[in-house]
Amino acid sequence: MSLKVVLPSHLSAEARFSGLAPIAQSRYSLAMSQSAAPVTVPHTDQEQQTRSKDQPDRGYLVIAWNDPVNLMDYVTHVFQVVFRWPKARAERHMLQVHQTGKSLLVRETFEKAEHYVHQLQAYGLQATMERDQ
Amino acid sequence: MKFLPNSKQTAAEPLLVFQISPREEALLLATLRLFPMLENAYHRVSKDPKTAAPAVQRLLEDSMSQLRAAHSRKLDELFRAPQRYFKDAPGERRLVLTAPQLEWLLQVLNDIRVGSWVRLGCPELEQARSVELTRLNARALHVMAICGEFQMALLDAVK
Repeated sequence: MSLKVVLPSHLSAEARFSGLAPIAQSRYSLAMSQSAAPVTVPHTDQEQQTRSKDQPDRGYLVIAWNDPVNLMDYVTHVFQVVFRWPKARAERHMLQVHQTGKSLLVRETFEKAEHYVHQLQAYGLQATMERDQ
Repeated sequence: MKFLPNSKQTAAEPLLVFQISPREEALLLATLRLFPMLENAYHRVSKDPKTAAPAVQRLLEDSMSQLRAAHSRKLDELFRAPQRYFKDAPGERRLVLTAPQLEWLLQVLNDIRVGSWVRLGCPELEQARSVELTRLNARALHVMAICGEFQMALLDAVK
């Protein structure tokens, strides 16, 4: 039996507000084989990065929630600024928030979803990130 | 306050120019002095406790705290040297902003507006109309309305 331990660890360089330090993201996985002899599997950061890019876990939803205080034009403007959306798309999401109580804005990786939530909340919008079930 | 779309541009960076009366200028400055009103705990990163792990929630609160500190520093500069923002023009007073300054003012005004709403108990707007007025909540309602007016005037420039 061999134990292969993969310890990918990378720093997200995602820009955050106000010069906040990037989050260190560590993921651990254990893999076992039936081979009797220990096996050394070469592992490079480059391989890990390639796999991460090939299979990004875009399982986080950024959702904007309705509130009675933020102005409709303001919400539209914030969506345009944060997501660089054209006005029509920003308005569509703003109206969805207004009429249904919430709008799914984007599905993203953890880091990007968190980044968007920070940006939206900097503008005072009620936005959260939720794991896609 | 009114956006002047065809104002003369002499600076390298595009400037957004607003006509503003002396009373509006005084009102805007007095309103901005209320910043910050929202507390860091107002911000929730997720409704799911698993996603909103303490470290993730704390990072959001720290980020908002740093952002407010940066906003406050810029506001101090504005209060110290309002002439950098408010200019005299023939027969009128003008508020002159760069695009980043406009975004900053929008965020600051919205913080004050939402903070006032929170102090009112986060009412639906219909309920707010029937709130029994006290000295405190009357002030909060008034501030909310003032911030909304200034925000709409600023948004005219980016439409």
